[in-house]
Amino acid sequence: MPNRLFQGIIQQMKETIDHLIGVVDTNNTIIACSELGRIGETVDLESPSSGLHPDCFVRNNCTYKAFGSEERADYYVFVEGNDPQIETYCSVLAVALSNIKFYYDEKYDRRNFIKNIILDNILPGDIYLKARELHFNSDVARTVILVRTVEPNDISVYDVLQNFFPDKTKDFLISINETDIALVKETKRNIEPQHLLQLAGSIVDTLSGEFYTHVVVGIGTTVSGLKDLARSFKEAQTALEVGKVFDTEKAIVSYDNLGIARLIYQLPTTLCETFLREIFKRGPIESLDQETLFTIQRFFENNLNVSETSRKLFVHRNTLVYRLEKIKKITGLDLREFDHAIVFKIALMVKKYLKANPVKY
Amino acid sequence: MAGLSLRGVYKKYPGGVTAVSDFNLEIKDKEFIILVGPSGCGKSTTLRMVAGLEEITDGEIYIGDRLVNDVAPKDRDIAMVFQNYALYPHMTVFDNMAFGLKLRKTPKDEIRRRVEEAARILDISHLLERKPKALSGGQRQRVALGRAIVREPKVFLLDEPLSNLDAKLRAQMRTEISKLHQRLGTTFIYVTHDQTEAMTMGTRIVVMKDGFIQQVDTPQKLYELPCNLFVAGFIGSPQMNFIEAKLLREGDTFFVEFGSEDTKTRAGVKYKIRLPESKNKNDALVPYVDKEVIMGIRPEHVHDEANFLSSMPDGIVEANVEVTELMGAETYLYMNCEGQSINARVDPSSTAKPGDKIQITIDPSKIHIFDKETEVTICN
Repeated sequence: MPNRLFQGIIQQMKETIDHLIGVVDTNNTIIACSELGRIGETVDLESPSSGLHPDCFVRNNCTYKAFGSEERADYYVFVEGNDPQIETYCSVLAVALSNIKFYYDEKYDRRNFIKNIILDNILPGDIYLKARELHFNSDVARTVILVRTVEPNDISVYDVLQNFFPDKTKDFLISINETDIALVKETKRNIEPQHLLQLAGSIVDTLSGEFYTHVVVGIGTTVSGLKDLARSFKEAQTALEVGKVFDTEKAIVSYDNLGIARLIYQLPTTLCETFLREIFKRGPIESLDQETLFTIQRFFENNLNVSETSRKLFVHRNTLVYRLEKIKKITGLDLREFDHAIVFKIALMVKKYLKANPVKY
Repeated sequence: MAGLSLRGVYKKYPGGVTAVSDFNLEIKDKEFIILVGPSGCGKSTTLRMVAGLEEITDGEIYIGDRLVNDVAPKDRDIAMVFQNYALYPHMTVFDNMAFGLKLRKTPKDEIRRRVEEAARILDISHLLERKPKALSGGQRQRVALGRAIVREPKVFLLDEPLSNLDAKLRAQMRTEISKLHQRLGTTFIYVTHDQTEAMTMGTRIVVMKDGFIQQVDTPQKLYELPCNLFVAGFIGSPQMNFIEAKLLREGDTFFVEFGSEDTKTRAGVKYKIRLPESKNKNDALVPYVDKEVIMGIRPEHVHDEANFLSSMPDGIVEANVEVTELMGAETYLYMNCEGQSINARVDPSSTAKPGDKIQITIDPSKIHIFDKETEVTICN
């Protein structure tokens, strides 16, 4: 925290500016002050919508000016009094403190450190040295959540997420490329998967509801060591890739919940092709028309129940039986039998995987 | 303000899953339409298609007179409120509501005007300087609604906005949203899986199942005249009783017969309830004579009170009380009648207790008959 640096500047300025001066953080607590006894005090700073009025404003006979990152105010500098001269002092102090904060952040940039870890740009041995230098708690649990913008628009997803997770000491937002943003979130050690899903849900809902931006979210596993963050990041990436192939309708995919897709995604493509050739030796899967494939899908969704499926498809039971017989004739697989049905289901998933143009090996 | 028109809308995912099939609906300007159905029935997908967040596979969507199939979500003049709303923790209520407008480079004066107007409508003007952590659940929900109101849209889309609230707050917010609809005079489309929300808030309800519209009607008509077994069972709490029965005819009179009687031992009883003539409108019952049907009766139309037993002797059956639930203003009786479950909503003064064998009467004029195969309503 740059509080010490702020206090240093304030102490030096106190002689020149013969007024009470200090710095307030976003929790309205005085973190540096020319009167040491006031450090830690809370001030009434319910500012007139801070984000909208970055210029000077007056509260309780003190002039305040915001400074910090471009997007929002991180701190307020204040000088006792309320005249143009005081306003100038305030502005000069804001420039000085803003610059010192910038250099401090650059030197002790935790976000860059995290970025280097998840992108494997730092040697494992250096991770803990740097963590100690940055006073970084390496023992807490963290999860990497990868947010991918599907259809970019003029809204900066990064800006929105930054306001969503403003605590820069716990949550780190890293722009990976023009569509992907990784959120490294500090979590409880035994966080329930549904809490992470809920968090991801609020990201998806806020971005689509507020900013009409369609995103998909991949969730890695929760890890406790800093070096394992790279693994959690890769898992989040894998979840998104697997989701793109198998769960096209889902906006949130968790690495912990990939199911059978996890296995198929790791199969060599040559093996997949051999498997499909073996299963469909009598007739290729392409020989089944769209309607038949739809029927099969519904049959699986209704647990191989002929009556239920025919009702859902609005066809007579005998029509469905006829279609199933036709499938049997073409492929040799009787979907009413569990063994055949499971083989067909896996074959469909393998086909889906191959259709997604994976790296061939 | 605008109406909406969805014509032959389909949503098929590349994997083969069809989420929405042949969705046709005309929504009038200022209407409060509810999409209701079990999870996975396609209601949220439909809403997202209206919003433009999901591409439609086939069909046309009009907002007002404008075809919006290829219009970007931000240009559709809609605002959405979702279940998983989140407020920006470090911002005041004012900034939370203003943030979206600010990112869209709306002039400051305009932002202030809109936020203050929305705050006035939602009655949160006094909270504008507070931060989210200092708000109650209901106040946060109102801020989330405020974020949508400041956009001054033609259509509001709400996707289960109350799901994360506790029961008491949900009931309170239901009223608030209904009031908001009246105050704004804008078209609302509201998605929920909760039939109580659907019945209490909507001017019309769209009941969906497996991607298909089952029925579109006013809450009262849906309740009284369901078009099939699914709608009958989905709308109403406790849900309608369904009893497997047989339709019989004696001259011009129709009966439903249910119960079990062992032909050898003569154990068990068969009950025959005479149906009023009105049930055979347009000879609807004729094709089902001597066939298995499903008889539906709402719990409030099953009575144990003496005056009902004497005034409706045609519907009297005997049942074993299994569980009783005193709700205060009414009592629910869960009974078994010849192997079939029957629930009744009776007067709290009822003395029936578990283990009792009591006489109840089914109001024949309130009986619904459904086709056992197709589950379509034969008569209401």
